[in-house]
This record gives sequence, structure tokens and C-alpha cells, in this order.
Amino acid sequence: MKASVRHHGKVTVVDLSGKITIGDGDIKLREAVNALLDEGRKAVILNLHGVSYMDSAGIGELVACYKRAAEKGAKLKLLNPGGKVQDLLILTRLQEIFEIFRDEREALTSF
Amino acid sequence: MGQTVKLKLSSRITYVDLVHQMTEDLARRAHFPKPAALDLALAVREAFINAVKHGNAMDEGKSVEVEFERNASRFLVAIRDEGSGFDPSQTADPRANENLERTSGRGIFFMKSFVDEVSFQRRRGRGMEVMLVKNLAPAGRSTEESGGKR
Repeated sequence: MKASVRHHGKVTVVDLSGKITIGDGDIKLREAVNALLDEGRKAVILNLHGVSYMDSAGIGELVACYKRAAEKGAKLKLLNPGGKVQDLLILTRLQEIFEIFRDEREALTSF
Repeated sequence: MGQTVKLKLSSRITYVDLVHQMTEDLARRAHFPKPAALDLALAVREAFINAVKHGNAMDEGKSVEVEFERNASRFLVAIRDEGSGFDPSQTADPRANENLERTSGRGIFFMKSFVDEVSFQRRRGRGMEVMLVKNLAPAGRSTEESGGKR
């Protein structure tokens, strides 16, 4: 998995690509989000457009990132989950926890 | 008589991608559509992770066996560990309101969601066997009959 970071004022977008799975993607996701939270960033969008799939460890890490952000007074939102990832978010009912956007501009102005 | 492929791997999480890729490739060769092949691979992935982590307790001296069998109507994958096993009936429902924000505990739920049949059998003195079955029959019919799985 690859993660690249863009800043739009106070909002940070993390473009993720590849798969978020045990032992690789889950660790990179944790490191990317932790680094932003440690910098004091309070508004983070994970762009899932390029993510092909996640396993239970990847889903678990997504939830862990959401909780760590909340503990630090930050907000983590999701952008553009694709077919399989969207299916997984619905299957696990996590779409009820996360704010999920289809349009990046709308996501950026939502904070 | 079906075609059988068997893998025996030491208990290392790093092998999960190999097992996933092999599952997807074999399923594609068995004429599964790409999404169904990915579903089967995701279920096998979770069973392999469970076998390494909970079955064999990450003991690299113990093995995980993955056996693939394809016949005319379905694709079967058996994942066997050598550990003292885990109790699949003790897993909480990850879709229950109180569990939604849990960071673990979705592995068995994923297995059950992505294939048509899942069974667990504790083998006396020889660990656990998880059997995953995905039907090769016309996707819409077989999947709907087995509880809405894709």
C-alpha cells in the first residue's frame, strides 16, 4: 500500500492506493495517520479511491485510526471508497460510524 | 474426481499474501468471475491468519496446511493448523452496536460472508480444520440460496 499526503489549508488528504491488509497496509496506514496526528493535524481525509480491498486487519486499523483521531480531538473522514471497499464498509456497518464522501470538495468543506 | 493442490507452510503471517494469490489464481482457473475469486481469497486469507495467530499461536515450528479441491460444482479449501485451536462459537457479532468500534474480531465474520459454507472441525490431537466452500453453480442462484453471500 502507498500513502501520499496533500494539505489543503487546515485539512489533510491522504491518498491511499493498493491493499490495506495485515502486516503491510495496516502498518503503513497506522504510521501515516499517527504522523499527522502527532503534527497536530485535526482534519484528515483518507482517500480510498485507489484501495482495491482490505482484510479484517485493515478494517480494524481503519477503526483504530478513527478512535485515535477522536482521542486527540481530530476528525477522520473517508473519501471515495471503491467497489470492494465500499462493500466491506457496508457489510461491517462502518458506514454508520464514518462520514463518507464522494466529492472531495464537499469533504474538504465539511470540517 | 476433483483436482487437488496442497500447501504446507510454517506459521508465518507473511505467507498470507502467497496463500491469497494462489487462491485467487486457482479460483480464476476454475472459471470464477473476478469478484467471486477475490471473495474466496479473502475468506481463505482470514482462515490462514486465524490458523497462524490463534491456532498455532505464532509458533513457527508448527505448520498450516492449505488444501484446495475443485470439482464440477464447487471449490473447497481446507485450512488446518496444529495448535490447541480456537472456539469459533465464542466470537462476538461484529455488527452488533456495541462491537462496531472494535478493532478486531471480524475474521470469522468475513469468512462466513464471502463463501457459501464454512465449517469448523476440531481434529483430536491435531488442531483445527476450517473448511470453506464456494459454489461454482450459476452465481446468482447458489449465492442467494446460501444466505445472500456474494
